[in-house]
Amino acid sequence: MKKRVGFPNALLFYKYSVLWTTFFQELGAEIIISPETNKIIKDLGVKYAPDEDCYSTKLYFGHTLYLKDKVDYLFIPRLGSDHEVNVGCPKFIALAEVLKSMFPDIPKIIMPFFSMAKKGHGRFKILRIIFSIGFRFTINPFRILISGKRAFDAQFKYEKGLKISEEELQKWENSEISLQNLSILEQRETPLRIALVGHSYVINDDLSSVSIKNLLLSRGIDLITPEQMPKVLIEKQMEKLDYNMYFNYAREILGTAMHFIENNSIDGILQLIIFSCGIDSIIGEMSARYSSRKPGTPLLQLVIDELSSETGVLTRIEAFLDMIERKNKFRRKELICHSHSLILDH
Amino acid sequence: MREAGKNDLILPKKPNRKTAELGARYSPEFICTPFKLTLGTYIEMLEEGADELGSGSCHSWCRFGYYWPVQKLILEDLGYDFKFICLDYLRPSILLKTLQKEIGNNCSLQQAIRAFRIGWIKNRFTDLVDNLLYSYRVIETEKGLSEKIAEKAYRIIVETKELRNMKKLRKQLPEFFEKNIDVQKKDDLIKIGICGELYVVYEPSLNLDIHKKLNELGIVVENTVSLRSYLDIGLKLNPFVKSPYKTAIKAAKPYIENKCGGETLENVGDIVLGKKHGNDGMVHLYPFTCMPEIITRSLIPQISREHDIPVLSLVLDEHTGEAGFHTRLEAYADMLIRRKMK
Repeated sequence: MKKRVGFPNALLFYKYSVLWTTFFQELGAEIIISPETNKIIKDLGVKYAPDEDCYSTKLYFGHTLYLKDKVDYLFIPRLGSDHEVNVGCPKFIALAEVLKSMFPDIPKIIMPFFSMAKKGHGRFKILRIIFSIGFRFTINPFRILISGKRAFDAQFKYEKGLKISEEELQKWENSEISLQNLSILEQRETPLRIALVGHSYVINDDLSSVSIKNLLLSRGIDLITPEQMPKVLIEKQMEKLDYNMYFNYAREILGTAMHFIENNSIDGILQLIIFSCGIDSIIGEMSARYSSRKPGTPLLQLVIDELSSETGVLTRIEAFLDMIERKNKFRRKELICHSHSLILDH
Repeated sequence: MREAGKNDLILPKKPNRKTAELGARYSPEFICTPFKLTLGTYIEMLEEGADELGSGSCHSWCRFGYYWPVQKLILEDLGYDFKFICLDYLRPSILLKTLQKEIGNNCSLQQAIRAFRIGWIKNRFTDLVDNLLYSYRVIETEKGLSEKIAEKAYRIIVETKELRNMKKLRKQLPEFFEKNIDVQKKDDLIKIGICGELYVVYEPSLNLDIHKKLNELGIVVENTVSLRSYLDIGLKLNPFVKSPYKTAIKAAKPYIENKCGGETLENVGDIVLGKKHGNDGMVHLYPFTCMPEIITRSLIPQISREHDIPVLSLVLDEHTGEAGFHTRLEAYADMLIRRKMK
């Protein structure tokens, strides 16, 4: 019988899903992924998770508890960071241990620890992790090696497909191409371009983001997310700061926001903040302060928790869009007036 | 700092309610409480005319390293003009360089090291005085005397100049306490260890002076965390003394293996070792939305069950009510006394 491995469909799974699932599939394990966050999972999480944890972590608890009786193993890696200097969120490291401590009856957790910021955690460490996991499923070392290689190849391919190049970004800013496939019916006369900024596990999760992504798409608005931003531009923005932004996941988000604040090339920025997320409290404040120093691109910040209602969010987004449209109309009028006066001058 | 040649320091006033309100008004919504308090303190100091602010910084799994960039942005928006000096205490080489350049007006490296060394040695003694105060305040006959003595002891520490004289302090301070305070000896006193986030444990206006409250309930208190775990490089380099932090980290292994910011590992270890150190119970303090300490908080029930030690975990922020806090401490103390009587 195949061994069943469970993956809670939350937090870092949104980033590394391809890597993890490919690896276990190649090893010959049966993969069980918890469904997209739904009401049952949310209620489970809110009920059993510690009160002060952030909303996303609570959802993770819900996903894990949902999988509890359905799998033999749970895969919850303790990922410290994937960068030599910069680090990730402390809660990700302790998730597995906290879950084990709070719910003694959950199945065995596979919890490799990896943190590139630590000494001696490089390629060799990855190899060791791969083998230590692999021998639980197969005794063939070559098979383990090959699955590891295939998994990493798949992940690289996936990430490459996600990112867009700088030229593409420029074309998008000049509204020559669209990043999301909007159907022709929904396309507006003047396309609106908005950057949807936030953690990947918030934006792509319909329940925790109150399905903002679909809402904007259904109104024919073209979106860009931090995952898609070219890395070069983000690093360029980070170099401008006089300190090192050492939360790795925050770099992407703040870099995207700062890039558009500076270049003023799109119609608006929408930032999703998860309540009591430590990283968001910092970068939310930073992007608000930077944006107030360089007002040009409107910035809307929405704080989301388990009590957010869809209607409330909808109203705020509609107001935001109306504001952008009024502003654009005003600007167009100004432009026309300007060109008229130019003609008269001649 | 004074040793490095900077003499025009404005020492921060003790933060109070007003400071907290001032800080909370300009802070992000759900940032941890220490941020709000320090911001309030900075504003008060700038109003007094300070033009250089000093702040710690680090590079770890905690928000602490972001305090000064965000505070700088906020204060600049408020219209203050100043310069921020940030001290990165996890990387000693950088710390020494900033000490040398920014504060000491380009003094030599030796001087900087010396100043830093005096800093950590003095820190050892302030810890000693703290712990003496917390045990003497329980058994003093004249109320409030031990606090006065402790004030005096702090001043002695600050004013001692030579390294030679400082070494003598280790013996002098306990004697100083013994001589000046009349005590009423009591047997089988209850002892509690206080662990948690560093700033909260050390800041009486934030933890509502928990040490004093527990002392008044007749309990001896001891801090298990200390700023020394970062500053005391002498202790780290000394091969003959085993630092308490390393033992704590070792004890925490079965529950949590890797460093995840703040004082999580140390705290978990301290709670595990609590009984061994002769504590009847532990109190765990942390500020609202502190990322690393939530981890500790989630692990506590299991540790408490397995090691049979009662742990009281308290969240603190600027809205904590004094009466409710007191009631919980009283109930906890009663529980400990009943446990001991059995």
